[in-house]
Amino acid sequence: MGRLIPVVLLAIAAVVFPLSVETIFLDVGIERQLGTVQKIFYFHVPLAWIMMLYGVVCGIAAAVQLRRQSRGAEAIAIAAGEMVIVAGLGVLITGPIWGHASWGKAWTWDARQISTGLLWLVFVAYVLVRRYGAAGSERLAAALAIFGAVDVPIIYYAVKIWKTTHPSNEVVVSLPPEMWAALWPALGALLATATALVAIRARQELCEMELDDAWVRAEDPSVGTKGETT
Amino acid sequence: MSEAVTPLELDGIGKRFGRLSVLRGVDLRVEAGEVVGLIGANGSGKTTLLNIAVGLLAPTEGERRLGGRRAPQVELADRMRIAFVTHTTQLYPRLTARENLRLFAELRAAAGDAAALPDPLLERLGLAHAADRMVGTFSRGMMQRLALARALQGRPQLLLLDEPFTALDRPGRERLAEVLVEERAAGLAVLLSSHDYDAVVAVTDRVVLLEGGRLGGEARRGEGPEAAGYRDRVAALGLLRPSAGVDGRAEEAARA
Amino acid sequence: MRLPRQAWLLAKNDLRQELRDLELLATAGFFTLVVLVMFGLSFASLGRKVQPLAIPGMLWLAVAFVGTLTLTRIFDREREADTLRALLTAPVERVAIYVSKAFVTLLVLLGCCLILVPGLVFMFPAAQVMAEQPLRTAALVVLGCTSYAAVGTVFAAGLATSSGKNVLLSVILYPLTSPALMWSLVATRALLERHPDLPTYLAQLAALDVLLVVLGGWLFESVLVGTARSATASGRARGRRR
Repeated sequence: MGRLIPVVLLAIAAVVFPLSVETIFLDVGIERQLGTVQKIFYFHVPLAWIMMLYGVVCGIAAAVQLRRQSRGAEAIAIAAGEMVIVAGLGVLITGPIWGHASWGKAWTWDARQISTGLLWLVFVAYVLVRRYGAAGSERLAAALAIFGAVDVPIIYYAVKIWKTTHPSNEVVVSLPPEMWAALWPALGALLATATALVAIRARQELCEMELDDAWVRAEDPSVGTKGETT
Repeated sequence: MSEAVTPLELDGIGKRFGRLSVLRGVDLRVEAGEVVGLIGANGSGKTTLLNIAVGLLAPTEGERRLGGRRAPQVELADRMRIAFVTHTTQLYPRLTARENLRLFAELRAAAGDAAALPDPLLERLGLAHAADRMVGTFSRGMMQRLALARALQGRPQLLLLDEPFTALDRPGRERLAEVLVEERAAGLAVLLSSHDYDAVVAVTDRVVLLEGGRLGGEARRGEGPEAAGYRDRVAALGLLRPSAGVDGRAEEAARA
Repeated sequence: MRLPRQAWLLAKNDLRQELRDLELLATAGFFTLVVLVMFGLSFASLGRKVQPLAIPGMLWLAVAFVGTLTLTRIFDREREADTLRALLTAPVERVAIYVSKAFVTLLVLLGCCLILVPGLVFMFPAAQVMAEQPLRTAALVVLGCTSYAAVGTVFAAGLATSSGKNVLLSVILYPLTSPALMWSLVATRALLERHPDLPTYLAQLAALDVLLVVLGGWLFESVLVGTARSATASGRARGRRR
């Protein structure tokens, strides 16, 4: 059952994604001001939402991990934290491309850009602590993820004020309904893929923990045959 | 002190750090008025076990009971009754001996429990002359005694000692043994880890051997005539060799 | 009553040790001075108009640098003789440890700001506003440093209990404290530009402080000690073994 869900999600994504690409590039008209480059919007926005979503998921899972010592929550936190980095990388690559076309500048220190960038850094720190921290640092990493999730709205709000005290050259693109219609399938496909990847990665992490269990049991002289010979 | 609750019960304790399994299925009880010695080679998990008993580490599996109650976490009320002394001594080097004691006494008082006065304790552990010296200038042995004084000032029901005899000279060891015997008579439960064969034999009622993270054997002092064979039974656990004195060497020769 | 009393005792203990050798204040103060001189060398030629944009950054970057140094040192002190473990096994509220360490960190940071702020005023004409509005400046500095100390104490303590690897502190702290520092930046610029919304920003910064202190206090114990797995979980684990 648990194994099946990612497969189903990936299958759905495999069907929906080509369809959504077709819609985006062939059915929806080319935006007048920006031209073809505007198409990147259909990938950029879903990735940004996925990044925020998994940032919050990671924070919540980490809180459960701390309170309950739950392995499942720990595995989900790790997987979600890594997904934030992957999706964030996508956001940080597509964003400046789009920005370059629409604003003439790849990076304008806009509120969303800074908050995305900082959030990404927080989760890179999370993965670094998990990888390189000493024994017991999984709790430290969990606290880091919780602070990170809480940071998301704070950063966003702070940067917004920072910018409003200063005129900004933000271009707000108002979307015609057909563009929204094309956005949903793309979001669905990417979200399904991301969720499947997180599920697979979490399962992998759980397997690793089980493997550690098995390793410990195999080394245990009272259980294995190794002990009887000594 | 007369209540018959068991100060410390560890039931099936296991501790792992990833693939490293430090403790497996350790069952250990320490009764009131009992001094239990924990022996084992370096890396056998003695310190980890003491850290779990005192609540600095959470066990991966198994249950910890303090004073008869399950203690998934060692709460503040539990910490009132437990004292922990390690070979790192955990004293502030920039404070004097008396200030070190007073800080912890005041912290305890703020938690609603009066602590013993520092001076009689310093006297009892032979530190009265150094009460106003900075702890940073103390020898290891003096620090160890001061750490013990701090542990005793809260009148604990359970005392955990991690290698208390290292760095103590012979008189220091004897004094520590005396103090332990007195406190045992008053109902204190003690769990101590040590490498020192003579000291362990002298002060403990029971010795358990920790081997590769699990209990590998036990020796009891026993009553009356049995008590005489305690030395041999401890030696028979196989880890600690009688080290000091002609006595010890003779015993070893006899065994060989 | 127990929590504030224990926090005060612990803070007093730290301060007493500090007064004996002034190590924290001397090193942090000197470091502040060095950073200030470096800022002066790099930015002395900035025009009067752009100064209000650069000064907030200098102020809070310096606080971030000094903060890391201070936090590392404060917990190194507890680590040298392993006294942090003594506090953790004593009948002391863990939150009291958190509060006292955050408080001492705050005091050291404020001490550094006593060098930093006058230094900036001296070097940059645009910073003169800070001298003209000392109360608002003080409120800003206290609130900004509090948010930094609130986050930093949790992670410095967590790293002090695990073995080694203090390098991770800056890896963790700079991204995590950035929102708090962002707020401080916003408020500082409002101060320099005599923006009418400054009191609002300060109030928001205060609210952020409360949030961070509560979150830090809530997480502190779990980070340092951790809890045992729930009985059912360990029961299941053992059941599987057999």
